[in-house]
Amino acid sequence: MALAAEAFMTQLAAAEPWPENAALYQQLKDEQILLSDNASSLAVQAFLQMCNLPVRVVCRANAEYMSPSGKVPFIHVGNQVVSELGPIVQFVKAKGHSLSDGLDEVQKAEMKAYMELVNNMLLTAELYLQWCDDVTVEEVLEDVDQCCQALSQRLGTQPYFFNKQCKGLTFQYRRLVPKIRPTELDALVFGHLFTILTTQLTSDELSEKVKNYSNLIAFCRRIEQQYFEGHDKDSSSSATSRSAKRSLLR
Amino acid sequence: MAAPMELSCWGGGWGLPSVHPESLTVMAYAKFSGAPLTVNAINNCWRAPKGEVPILISEDTVISQPAKILNFLRKQKYNADYELSAKQGADTLAYIALLEEKLLPALLHTFWVEAENYCSVTKPWFASRIPFPLSLYLPGKMSREALNRILLTRGGPPLYSLTEVEAQIYRDAKECLNLLSKRLGTSQFFFGNRPSTLDAFVFGFLAPLYKVCFPRVQLQEHLKQLPNLCRFCDDILSCYFRLAVSGHSPAGQDTVDANLQKLTQLVNKESNLIEKMDDNLRKSPQHPPRKLTTLKLAAGGEESSPLNRLSP
Repeated sequence: MALAAEAFMTQLAAAEPWPENAALYQQLKDEQILLSDNASSLAVQAFLQMCNLPVRVVCRANAEYMSPSGKVPFIHVGNQVVSELGPIVQFVKAKGHSLSDGLDEVQKAEMKAYMELVNNMLLTAELYLQWCDDVTVEEVLEDVDQCCQALSQRLGTQPYFFNKQCKGLTFQYRRLVPKIRPTELDALVFGHLFTILTTQLTSDELSEKVKNYSNLIAFCRRIEQQYFEGHDKDSSSSATSRSAKRSLLR
Repeated sequence: MAAPMELSCWGGGWGLPSVHPESLTVMAYAKFSGAPLTVNAINNCWRAPKGEVPILISEDTVISQPAKILNFLRKQKYNADYELSAKQGADTLAYIALLEEKLLPALLHTFWVEAENYCSVTKPWFASRIPFPLSLYLPGKMSREALNRILLTRGGPPLYSLTEVEAQIYRDAKECLNLLSKRLGTSQFFFGNRPSTLDAFVFGFLAPLYKVCFPRVQLQEHLKQLPNLCRFCDDILSCYFRLAVSGHSPAGQDTVDANLQKLTQLVNKESNLIEKMDDNLRKSPQHPPRKLTTLKLAAGGEESSPLNRLSP
């Protein structure tokens, strides 16, 4: 989008509050959606949940054609349509919701760098596994391992990647503690790792690589519990509605 | 000590040891980690084994691609990241991904795709270092590869025309430069006072952008507005490549290097001689010829010292 059009979009976005009937479109879950698209969709869903913005997930076979950029997922909010995590984060920010406001400049830089790392390595690995399937799979797995190692080291023993404290308190371990909120990096990482861990593929090598890092698994479990469990009641909405097959809480 | 290592890469100009980002990254890492590399600037492409530059040759091993070369150097115990924590190592990986995704496309565009830059600067420079008739073909091939790379990685919908892609990649590059500047802040290097792999990559990507004189320079102008990044490049050039900011020619640098080496050898010889002399001086009055000492000790230790003093 040209710069002027983007600025205009931002102004339009800021005008209205988040509606009740916002919808997220992706391809059909069982037969159609690909690994990488599923990961992207889950990342966006996680992000919106973390912002406390309600959205219902709608599966359509022609989702890719409906999308303005050809990429899924995309959200339909009011009379605007925005696709892909990056623009959606901007759009949501224009409406006054942001997860990364409390970060200082250096932390924001770090966050962007880690998001690129995830896109570079995990997304490429997912695309690779979907489409190609030959000898250079070792290099891809090596990359995935490196990426997971980096993420695992960065996360350490903290609950989220950036643990900035927000307004409000929460009850944890029988004590009132300051609330810590996740950022879009957490949403992105969750989307990809959860998809890799729970999707049945021809080989388990990719998920085995991720399983080597226990703090990453605990991270995914935590986000699943916190942001997706409560919504299982909705019929077609939650990504984890197929919890029988997909839950990490085995 | 490892076998001698040779690096084959593109040469320098405009005050840089190399104008090619990947070559420069490897050279910088070698300097930071103390790896002894013989650098051969390419002037005859027929000899390059695979055509992928830079290439490291060590005995019979041939390694291409900066990441693999750096891994090899680390295995040979030339490790510039020794003091980094696990988190800093993770950060390194993340920032390198950022550089490759956000900055590299614009860098490639500035050098190889932007018509004025390519025709007036890049093509003549590379063509002059490649033998005829490859010089007629190779620069064009490199330019097409750069364009392909940009379009494949960034040219998807909704950006359908090259001008839209260009606008997007330059915007991303400027944002990336801003992020790097914020991350560097006022420190000398990205992780404290010692340079590491990340510094090598950032230097490799930024220095050509900073120094090479192009007619179309929007990214360079943006970079010059970030003084800490400029200072970062200049510091590395002056400390590790012994080039004044205005720059020597590569040939000049080589003779300076050679002279410095000769001087160092002379000085070392001198100091060895002096040490020997010192040793002799120390040894002569106090240490008797060995035979005497052993005889004395065998006879009965306590008499040895007064007798020692008497003997010359």
